Amino acid sequence: MRIVIAEDDPLLREGLALLLRAEDLDVVATAATPGEFLAAVDEHAPDVAIVDVRMPPTHTDEGIVAAVEARRRRPGLAVLVLSAYVEQAFATDLFSVGAVGLGYLLKERVGRVEEFLAVLHRVADGGSVIDPEVVAQLLARNRRTDTALSELTPREREVLGLMAEGLGNSAIAERLFVTDGAVHKHIRSIFSKLQLPPDDHADRRVTAVLRYLNGDRR
Amino acid sequence: MAYVRGRLRASVDALEHLVGGLGTATLALGALLWAAIVAVTCLVGVGLLAVPGALRAVRSVADRERTRLSRWGGPIPTPGPVPAGLRTAARDPFVRRELGWVALYSLTGLVTGLVGLALPIYALQDVTFPLWYRLIPADAGAPGIVWWRIDGLSEALAVGLLGVGWLAAVIWFSPVLARLQAWPGRWLLPPPPGVDLSLRVAELTATRAAALDAHAVELRRIERSLHDGTQNRLVAVNVLLGAARRAVRRNPDRADEILGQAQDAAEQALGELRTVVRGILPPVLDDRGLAGALAGLAGSCAVPCRLEVDVAVRCAVSVEATAYFVVAEGLTNVVRHSGASRADVAVRRERGRLLVSIEDDGHGDADEARGSGLTGIRRRVEAYDGRMTLTSPPGGPTRMDVELPCGS
Repeated sequence: MRIVIAEDDPLLREGLALLLRAEDLDVVATAATPGEFLAAVDEHAPDVAIVDVRMPPTHTDEGIVAAVEARRRRPGLAVLVLSAYVEQAFATDLFSVGAVGLGYLLKERVGRVEEFLAVLHRVADGGSVIDPEVVAQLLARNRRTDTALSELTPREREVLGLMAEGLGNSAIAERLFVTDGAVHKHIRSIFSKLQLPPDDHADRRVTAVLRYLNGDRR
Repeated sequence: MAYVRGRLRASVDALEHLVGGLGTATLALGALLWAAIVAVTCLVGVGLLAVPGALRAVRSVADRERTRLSRWGGPIPTPGPVPAGLRTAARDPFVRRELGWVALYSLTGLVTGLVGLALPIYALQDVTFPLWYRLIPADAGAPGIVWWRIDGLSEALAVGLLGVGWLAAVIWFSPVLARLQAWPGRWLLPPPPGVDLSLRVAELTATRAAALDAHAVELRRIERSLHDGTQNRLVAVNVLLGAARRAVRRNPDRADEILGQAQDAAEQALGELRTVVRGILPPVLDDRGLAGALAGLAGSCAVPCRLEVDVAVRCAVSVEATAYFVVAEGLTNVVRHSGASRADVAVRRERGRLLVSIEDDGHGDADEARGSGLTGIRRRVEAYDGRMTLTSPPGGPTRMDVELPCGS
């Protein structure tokens, strides 16, 4: 797996590279600015890019803009965006280009190395991952105004969150200590309550969930 | 001794005011001449078109005098632009008073200014006369308004003695002259009663908005430094700890190395957190007052910094915090941008105002528009009804003066 890291903080950039190299992953380039990052993507043709949201010059959403641009230049590129805080607007911008091979994660998750590596592999394999915090925020925001969401049972809400993290049925079952069949039943119930097309494919599920949570019910 | 020093400072200040007043008086004379020409041409009709221009010129000179007087004594608000249209302009209470002021001040301002300037020149010439009287022919007499013939050292010494007299006159009369010179402006330029209040309300509304703005800017600054500094460091600590835990099993030596890096990052986080916290409202301000707090700033400044604080009575906390902020930001700018080898900070309290000045010997050319901390300083100062002026010619030196009402 060839990886490019875009992060303006030198310590964090080197820390990430060190962590990934220690896991025998191939970090082919690191970049401190969006410009360097795009140049590295062109030059090294990586499989995965790990991108910080806030980068120079304005330290707002340069990372998201650069990630979207990198995807445009190299459609097969998997992108994992790291953010210091939850901002669902960033997630919405990012996932506007489709959900295949995209992830949006809080920076502190990197410290849980095993889980972080699992997420990285999931995104590299074309999966989608959204940080549970983002999902929780979206749920909290929409629950007050949305009757369909408030009809979900607590367990179903939990399952919805894990779906957004990109977990498949068996992984969800493992996390919640229930059987696959029970998970399947929950998901069917969620989809019918939210009036989403039933679909078992993980990425499409994430897209559907996101689309629903953003209030865009096409 | 303190009395003498006070008198000396007062007369130096007075001289500064007299020279400044001479400048505005010259401008006033120009404006008066123009207004007179326009008035004469009005008699034949063609001058009417030039009236608004002339009134604007008078207003601009009057505003200059208002700003000058505000820097020195009680503030005089500026009324804004001259109203458009001849009729409204003629009814404007400011316009008539300003015309009166221009007529009066172009005479009195010039006379007091010239006398005030001539006195110290005479004093200097006469006091030093015994040193150079041989260089000029005896018939030429002494400089200034001395009328006797100079034949020898004793006459020259007499002239020198006269110079001491002039010097005494400078010390005693300069402040009086300066007050006399300012009097037409103090009398005619403030808004007439009634108008004052509405101006003040407009100004307060503007500064209140600026205060909220400054507040938001300040919050953004804190958020930015917390996020880009402290938070990133802690994330790095977290990442390194994660890596170390993985390495413990496979390669314990490597794990120790990574843990060392993590500790470095944690120390950096603490350092940055300290900086951020100190920038918000330094606890030292409460404990040791402005002088102590500024001494801490000057001591930790990377450029050698000389500090002079003369604040006998404490100001309102918010004003002190703002002054502290101004000095902190100012010194940061000096270190980052000026290339200076030393900085001078002076803070003193005068007539209910806190005066802060920061000067460096760097290469100058500081520009507020280029997004340095200067805009932040100006906003925060103006939010407290204060004033900030910056002079920074290319090649230096850079000097920033900030004036804050003490609020107590």
